[in-house]
Amino acid sequence: MTAARIGWALLAAIAAFGILGPLLAGDPLRQDLSATLQGPGAVHPLGTDQFGRDMLARLTHATRLSLGFAAVAAVAAAVPGIALGLIAAWRGGIVERALVSLADAVMALPGLLLVVLFAAFAPGEFLPLYLGLSLALWVEYFRLTRGVAASLLARPAVEAARLFGFGPWHVLRHHLLPELAPMLVTLLAFSAAAAVTAISALAFVGIGLRPPTPEWGSMMTELLPYHAEAPLQVLLPGLLLALTVLGLQLVAGARR
Amino acid sequence: MSDLVLDGVTVDGPQGRIVHPTSLTLRPGVPLALLGETGSGKSLLMQAVMGTLPPRLSAGGSVRLDGTDLLRLDAAARRALWGRRIAMLPQEPWAALDPLMRAEAQVAEVPRFLNRAPWAEARRRAGEALAALGLARGERRYPFQLSGGMCQRVALAATRVAGAGVLLADEPTKGLDTALRDGVTALLRAEAEAGRILLAITHDVAVARGLGGEVGVMLEGEVVESGPAAAVLAAPRHAYTRRLLAAEPAAWAPWPRAETGGVLVEGRGLAKRFGAQRLFEGVDVALRAGGRVALFGPSGSGKSTLGNLLLGLLRPDAGEVRRAPGLVAPFVQKLYQDPVAAFAPRRTVGQAIEAVVARHRLDARATTRWMEALRLSPGLLARRPDEVSGGELQRFALLRAMLPGPRVLFADEPTSRLDPVTQQEVMDRLRDALAASGAALLLVTHDRDIAGKAAKDVLALGG
Repeated sequence: MTAARIGWALLAAIAAFGILGPLLAGDPLRQDLSATLQGPGAVHPLGTDQFGRDMLARLTHATRLSLGFAAVAAVAAAVPGIALGLIAAWRGGIVERALVSLADAVMALPGLLLVVLFAAFAPGEFLPLYLGLSLALWVEYFRLTRGVAASLLARPAVEAARLFGFGPWHVLRHHLLPELAPMLVTLLAFSAAAAVTAISALAFVGIGLRPPTPEWGSMMTELLPYHAEAPLQVLLPGLLLALTVLGLQLVAGARR
Repeated sequence: MSDLVLDGVTVDGPQGRIVHPTSLTLRPGVPLALLGETGSGKSLLMQAVMGTLPPRLSAGGSVRLDGTDLLRLDAAARRALWGRRIAMLPQEPWAALDPLMRAEAQVAEVPRFLNRAPWAEARRRAGEALAALGLARGERRYPFQLSGGMCQRVALAATRVAGAGVLLADEPTKGLDTALRDGVTALLRAEAEAGRILLAITHDVAVARGLGGEVGVMLEGEVVESGPAAAVLAAPRHAYTRRLLAAEPAAWAPWPRAETGGVLVEGRGLAKRFGAQRLFEGVDVALRAGGRVALFGPSGSGKSTLGNLLLGLLRPDAGEVRRAPGLVAPFVQKLYQDPVAAFAPRRTVGQAIEAVVARHRLDARATTRWMEALRLSPGLLARRPDEVSGGELQRFALLRAMLPGPRVLFADEPTSRLDPVTQQEVMDRLRDALAASGAALLLVTHDRDIAGKAAKDVLALGG
């Protein structure tokens, strides 16, 4: 359980940084070309980037963006995945076979490729990123939900509930969700980590969000040429990304 | 081979003493059956002898075999005895065997790894061990190709092929039908007669009787009565032993005759198969209002499946089922073999019952009346299914099933997981509940005696 506590502490600290930071720090877009690539100091606690923008302000905004994105993307994948998994387990037969085939087909494609495909249609927009990630990540929720729900539905307790005249909602609320919830929370943490990594990876190679939006991946790309003059500035976005993913993995891993 | 002597053996746990000082002498050739209910400490006593007590429990006293006190040996030295000197027969052998290994290979592993015999010799010894148990033709087969009784023999062969002279059997007949149970009992008796020491734990008086030899009766961590099986079982002195004997289904009073009405459910020419396995064919059965029909047969004979066909939970491959108009849920109800699995695990028993009352807008006083009739204490309502004893939970399941006023109750092996005394209690309450409600009973059981006592119409399936 210590691992989970460390994970929660990490996430809490990063979330506080992302939520409270933007209120306290300055404008992440204001340039000051007379003070580029400065080290940490009184005015700029974490220094400035190649356009003289405040690193602290940019990092807090980037953190807020990544956390919000991860949460929305994970939910956008979870909702259709869980719903389709429940439908497949409940209906069985041809519905189940069709959904399983669809899931297998999606699994055959690399997830990041799907996101790139969607991002190419509307560069710099959030919606295609959510759509792409949802399409890539729903399969995990579908497979878990379907497998667990199928075995739960085969239990005598569910047959008994039907003999007492209870409908699908009762079975869902009292027999399926209480058993599924802990596993789904674990999966949420894992897919949030996947979403955080995906958006940074895309921004790093120049797809997805565009400058000057502060984002960990694009900050790393922009600052990479200046690694010799400003090593701290290159390191910080990567460090935040790594800590966030670590926190999510620790929380998810301990719940299994 | 010397005697196995238990002298003042105790088992202590974090909450205090669980098994009080127990002294028993096991002699080669004389089987000892320990009788007792779940929680009487009989399994812990056996684990103390074997050296497999759970980590937080500790054993005291002494267990002497060939001049050595087993309790004084360290874990590695005790492990060295397993299989070679002392062996434990697995409880459900079809679950204990490796499904992907042929019978002979499973048995041959034991001499190969325990006695370090070369493979050729290990195979030869395995073949001999299987042949000695009448399984020479089954040695090339996989467990799924063997019957339950044959699996039991393979497990027994594997248990003693390394030369163990002391056999411990923990509930060797649990979940077995009558024929299989008697077969296993005879098998174990033959092991003892071959000069081995045998300690068997059971809650089935018939097993103790079948083994002959000695019997010990355990209650709350103490052996309250012991002696030759014939004497103890013929003239029990302790009150608990008498209750145990009276709880044997063969000793029950037959259920009173029931007034029956028109036919509620009728099946004609029913057939069902699962894959290549044919369960039954051409079965005719009819259940009248207020009547009682028992489906009796060994495990795997399809008796539960037949019950589900009659209730409309499954469809027959051939034949037809006719049900009286309006005979649908909730007027057909079912009791399950494992009551814990019949309740949602995270809700209390009270919540489960309350949900049924609310769903059918029933009078809440009905619950109270049934609780009294079934002798259930209201304090149990706040507990979860796994926090209530098996007998109590099965009575709660009966209560819940009775609430909507069913016309047919399908009881699918309702007591096969319960101790004899508890089994009798549950069956008595079931009898009373049926008499009070007028519901018809479809009873599935593997116990011929229970089938005969509860119903006049007994339909035997399989075998």
